[in-house]
Amino acid sequence: MKKILSSVALLAAIISTPASATNWKSVEQRAAGDTVYFHAWGGSQEINRYIQWAGQQLQARYNVTLKHVKVSDISETTTRLIAEKAAGKNSGGSVDMVWINGENFKSMKDNKLLFGPFVDQLPNWQYVDKSLPVDVDFSVPTEGLEAPWGVGQLVFIHDKQTLNNPPKSFMEMLSYAKAFPNRLSYPRPPEFHGTSFLKALLIELTHNDSSLMKPVKDADFQRVTEPLWNYLDQFHQVAWRGGKQFPSGTAETIQLLDDGQLDLAITFNPNAVYSAQSNGNLALTTAAYAMDAGALSNIHFLAIPWNANASAAAQVAINFLLSPEAQSRKGDMNIWGDPSVLSSQYLSGSAKKTKQFKSIAEPHPSWQAALEQEWLKRYGN
Amino acid sequence: MLRLLYLGLIAVCILPTIPGLLGVVLSAFGYIPPIGLSDFSLSGFSHVFRWNGVWQSIGLTMYSAIISSYLACLITFAILQSCWNTTWWRKIETLLSPLLAMPHVAFAIGFAFLFAPTGIGVRTIYQSFGYDLSSQNVNEMALLVKDPDALGLIVMLALKEVPFLLLMSIPILQQLKVAQIEKVSHALGYNNSQVWCKVIFPQWFTRLRFPMLAIIAYSVSVVDIALIIGPTNPPTFAVLVWQWFNDPDLSLLPRAAAGAVVLFIIASLLIAFVQTLEWVVLKGFKHWQYSGRSGLTLPGKSLFSLLTILAFIMLPLMILWSFALRWRFPDLVPSQFSTRFWQYEWQSIVNTFGQSMSIAVICATLSLLLALIAHEYRQRYRIHIPGYIIAIPMLIPQLSVLFGMQIATLYIKSDVYSFWVCWAHVFFAFPYVYLSLDGPWRSYDQGLTRVALSLGKSPLHAWFKVKLPLLLPAVTFAWAVGVSVSLAQYLPTLILGAGRISTITTEAVALSSGHDRRITAIYAISQALLPLLFFSLAMLLNHTHGKYRRLSIKGLLTHESLSRKPRHP
Repeated sequence: MKKILSSVALLAAIISTPASATNWKSVEQRAAGDTVYFHAWGGSQEINRYIQWAGQQLQARYNVTLKHVKVSDISETTTRLIAEKAAGKNSGGSVDMVWINGENFKSMKDNKLLFGPFVDQLPNWQYVDKSLPVDVDFSVPTEGLEAPWGVGQLVFIHDKQTLNNPPKSFMEMLSYAKAFPNRLSYPRPPEFHGTSFLKALLIELTHNDSSLMKPVKDADFQRVTEPLWNYLDQFHQVAWRGGKQFPSGTAETIQLLDDGQLDLAITFNPNAVYSAQSNGNLALTTAAYAMDAGALSNIHFLAIPWNANASAAAQVAINFLLSPEAQSRKGDMNIWGDPSVLSSQYLSGSAKKTKQFKSIAEPHPSWQAALEQEWLKRYGN
Repeated sequence: MLRLLYLGLIAVCILPTIPGLLGVVLSAFGYIPPIGLSDFSLSGFSHVFRWNGVWQSIGLTMYSAIISSYLACLITFAILQSCWNTTWWRKIETLLSPLLAMPHVAFAIGFAFLFAPTGIGVRTIYQSFGYDLSSQNVNEMALLVKDPDALGLIVMLALKEVPFLLLMSIPILQQLKVAQIEKVSHALGYNNSQVWCKVIFPQWFTRLRFPMLAIIAYSVSVVDIALIIGPTNPPTFAVLVWQWFNDPDLSLLPRAAAGAVVLFIIASLLIAFVQTLEWVVLKGFKHWQYSGRSGLTLPGKSLFSLLTILAFIMLPLMILWSFALRWRFPDLVPSQFSTRFWQYEWQSIVNTFGQSMSIAVICATLSLLLALIAHEYRQRYRIHIPGYIIAIPMLIPQLSVLFGMQIATLYIKSDVYSFWVCWAHVFFAFPYVYLSLDGPWRSYDQGLTRVALSLGKSPLHAWFKVKLPLLLPAVTFAWAVGVSVSLAQYLPTLILGAGRISTITTEAVALSSGHDRRITAIYAISQALLPLLFFSLAMLLNHTHGKYRRLSIKGLLTHESLSRKPRHP
């Protein structure tokens, strides 16, 4: 009986897998020799180095060349793709792979700039932890147009030696700033850490108003955001450099924390503190923490533009980046430390040990641009 | 043949200005068919002027450009006044070439290392005077890097332009016969500083008009430097336009184009301002030139020493940073060292080096060939393009013309990135190469070629055997200038290369925003070394060539064309 069962299973395997396996084989064959231009944020050396490593592996295993095009904001790439779409360039495009989420995903999806659905055809899709919200991106369904790559949680870093008891809510943060002026700040929006800070703040101040989950045009923007601007008006008066200058991004806040100019740094990667320590960017007494209410959390994704010149090679690259090996390395505290999207049973090394903070969902992506515009109008000079 | 080549030159280096400017002006009025905008409107401009803080930003740009350029001019004059024809001058001339070769970006990064609120300057003050480091005080020290009044940008640009103005002053002062002027004026009872202020300054200042225009145009439109040490909230206008240019909402592209047009207008206004100021000082109100015995003695030697010391502290400081694992504020030296950052970056530096060098060498060689063609053509035919038209790419803001060029490449074929980048580099490097050959070509004695021709040699033979060997030092120098201009291009590489082409300069600027000082240091060092390498190569070539020629044709060495070449290395 057992024998029969196993031979039936074998037979089933022979009948069912070959279709997708040969499919995938042919994707790999088409990929060989191609170059993938991967547009990704280039603001962190740890990440850049990881992508460089992935490129070497892809070259050695699949004969695929991965070129990291370092952008300061992925919206630059969205612009480029929209221009190519408008110019009728439906093949041989200049971008093969992008690292996106939220607003940029929505914009690319709405403008039909994405290739796919392709995600469930990736052999390594089976290892992905489906209990994570991997099929929605800032409340927009992904519909298989983008593959999850990692988890981001907006957390703060403090130095236990100088500030043992950091503010655990945004209200406490304001009182702290008033008691110790010039010691707190956040990256200047529209830099995405800065905008995320605004979103987290807005969620706390409005007690997560239900209209935040819907498109901004359906909400009374002025009424909902009123507490946010009141808060910022007070906060900026006692913020670093009088709220007239802001750090440019997460890296600068980490630098300023280490220089003793700020008491809190901000990051989307709870494990960034370990790699920063091992690279000498932060003291060993630093630690990451989330607000009591939780950390603004999202998943970041990899996608392929509709007109990609090397879409087969891009799929091979994405599949490789989803492999247990690549994800374990990505989650390694000393390398990048980005929490993995795979179930932890497939992971090895320190990536397995990552704990996640209590999470707060992102507002609807349309809030991003609205908040950025209003911020620039009020504080942009 | 020469005519045909000359036409090619016009097509490559002069004509693109027209679609460049046309493209940007049409886009500014909302006409960009490739992205579906085909109605003329003024909304681009109204967006520009509705932007919060735009006037502050424009004001910052204008005053930082004017003050930095005239500060550079004043420092240059001070140095010339106290050092020309003295033993100091020899030292200055030898130091000029490393100072000039140091790219703006590397200089700005070094400047930030020194003067940031937690930079080595503040650390030294703290360590030696026990300065109180509470954050309020440190924030008050944020005067020279990313300060809201652009002071750091002004000082840094002024210092960096001084070597260029000094270089440009050499042929001017040589023509002026300074020694004779001094002798006559001394005989009339004027002392040295009076002579320099009343007699030499007016003549020198008139002839320095073009270099002044070049640096003021550069300061108005510079983006890379302003990103590193300029104000951020609001930034200078060029940076603002660059941010608009990168806005994801394409329907706002007319705003960026209108900004580029406004930038062009600002640059033109400032050029007019330079001309007016020159007229006011030298012609309008020239009373000061002949009444009384007022004369300023400026501390030129100390200024030059300061500049040199700053520049030469930067390199060791950057090297120290690149090996520092742990270097906390306010320590004066790192507490832990490591070579791991060099190991991490080595592979990508080697790749970027290769790409930068090949682009630079190709572009410099092409620009050199084109410049040679232009000069030969000018000497042979009466109708040719006047110098100021050739200099246009030096005077219009890069953003303004590149914008239109990118729109133009959308119409043609936008995916041959390396080709477009190379061409843009040639376009911007050509005027510099042309100008550095200008002096030597004008002072070449045509009689020598005529003698060769009358001895029955072909024109080509005469050119290669007589003219080229004599002018070779100037030619190799011009080539090195072309290489360094090409290496320093930031916007052309980024805009036309679509981010796919990265050179050592684009990497240095991109990584300086990553705020890892070790990585920034590594790229700044690499960026500083590359042009120096080419200048040294040019010097070496001249040296060996000089020796060889001294042996082969004695007597010609003292020819005027040699003493009149830009006496740079």
